[in-house]
Amino acid sequence: MTTETLESDRRRAAAPRPPGRVDPVIAAAGLTPAAARVSRVFDILVVIAVVLLFTGAIHLHTMLLAGDWDMFTDWKDRQYWPLIMPVVLVMFPAALQAVFWTYFRLPIGATVAATCLMLGVAITRPVQFMVWTDYPLNLVLPAQMIASALVLDVILMVFRNALFTAIFGGFAFAFIFYPANYIIFAPYYVPVAHQGMIASVADMIGYVFPRSATPEYIRIIERGTLRTFGDSVSWVSALFSGFICIFMHYLWWKLGIVMSSMRFLPNNTKVMAMMGAKAPAAPVVAEPAATPEAAR
Amino acid sequence: MSSVLPASLPAEVRPAPRRFAIDYRWFAVAFVVLSGIYVGYRMYQQAYGMTVGLASTEPEFQTYWMTLFWTQLPILFGIAIAVQLYLIATRDRDIENVAPDVELKRYFSFTMWLVVYTFTFYWTGSFFAEGDGNWHQTVLRDTPITPSHIVLFYACIPIYLLFGVGSFVYAMTRIPAFCRGISLMHVFAVVGPFLILPNLGYNEWGHAYWLTEEIFSHPLHWGFVVLGWNALALAGVLMQIISRMRELLPIVFKAETTA
Repeated sequence: MTTETLESDRRRAAAPRPPGRVDPVIAAAGLTPAAARVSRVFDILVVIAVVLLFTGAIHLHTMLLAGDWDMFTDWKDRQYWPLIMPVVLVMFPAALQAVFWTYFRLPIGATVAATCLMLGVAITRPVQFMVWTDYPLNLVLPAQMIASALVLDVILMVFRNALFTAIFGGFAFAFIFYPANYIIFAPYYVPVAHQGMIASVADMIGYVFPRSATPEYIRIIERGTLRTFGDSVSWVSALFSGFICIFMHYLWWKLGIVMSSMRFLPNNTKVMAMMGAKAPAAPVVAEPAATPEAAR
Repeated sequence: MSSVLPASLPAEVRPAPRRFAIDYRWFAVAFVVLSGIYVGYRMYQQAYGMTVGLASTEPEFQTYWMTLFWTQLPILFGIAIAVQLYLIATRDRDIENVAPDVELKRYFSFTMWLVVYTFTFYWTGSFFAEGDGNWHQTVLRDTPITPSHIVLFYACIPIYLLFGVGSFVYAMTRIPAFCRGISLMHVFAVVGPFLILPNLGYNEWGHAYWLTEEIFSHPLHWGFVVLGWNALALAGVLMQIISRMRELLPIVFKAETTA
């Protein structure tokens, strides 16, 4: 597999199979073609469930923990935004990496999470912010973590280890976030003169568009002497974020393992009887047959 | 309710295994009906949010929004309770002797329950939750029952409760493994999002007593986040299903091939 290209795989899959020869994947799974077809139907259901569930869960998580930093262009400052966003965003990708890698050896968890989040915000920013409450799209552009997630997944694929993925991948995830988004937001950082003062284009959009229920004061974000170092503020923030993301990634990897546990607790015999089980309580299924080794 | 294939009978008198077919009818109906409901709610918000939804003391607010609120609550909770009672009343009373093909079909039905549950979770956690965010960052709240809350908390949550709890009751009344033992992750996946509704008390209490401004990442909102994390536990439920299906597929299809 390592020396073959995807193209050759695709050609081989498209070519008619000689009679009597069984697909090696199906043969390895021990399934008849009919069973394999049913199994594929189940796969499709699982994919739909994963996309819907994690679009909802990751979007909810991001909007309530990073909220305004992701919602508004003028909140995307150079000190808090590169710090808070990656720390919030790395959690679900780490958990999904744990599930996809441990049980299926698929290094796609972070990218799936990033794509689900983008899907969620790509629908709601126009349909809710623009259509319902008339925000200009320039003010509510979301950040993206797809580049960071791709790097995170590649690092997992290379190291095949949770700890090294946390150390190198978690750090890279945060450190790449700012430059990967800079391409989108650079035009909004252009300085403009406004009533004798310097502001950014993003600030100007925020000044002229009233958000009646949000803070109306001007956010002064850089209070320390760090600002004397000019634009290095954003890199320092990215470094700090990378440091936190190392621990956050490892913590959420562990959480992903815990939350994908297949443990059954023993049911109450009376409840079992009420639900239709006439036999005495059978031994509770401990851990299932599908260990990570078996599922590989 | 379950069909039993007695293994002790000679092969010539055993009934021929039925061809395995999955029934998608209710699955499709659920998607179509739910999509209609959600799109309908969004259109109602568009039509009456900015026009008559800004001040709760206006008579029009009572007419258009409070009428909707008081109408939907008994209907949605009533349907949710009725579905659970139906599932219990039609339970398999001989669940220990379910034939493998029937069990496999039930695993598919159970998965479909979960897919529909995730569909409702998407609309709640992503679509209408961010709609609630942009509404309250624009319009000062003078009531806990705002046009965005009426849809998000008092319509979307009862709907996902129906399918979340429904999936739990379905599994417990029809699938042997989920009757013998309680799936810990299934409990998390259902109870966590369920608790978002009572957590609303904390949220509204905070908004009533503190002038927090509408910073969406405010700690007042973090209860929702922690409870939403429980959705991750659905991965455990899917793993439990996959684990059993790996055993069932060869059994069921070997029987079908033999026949």
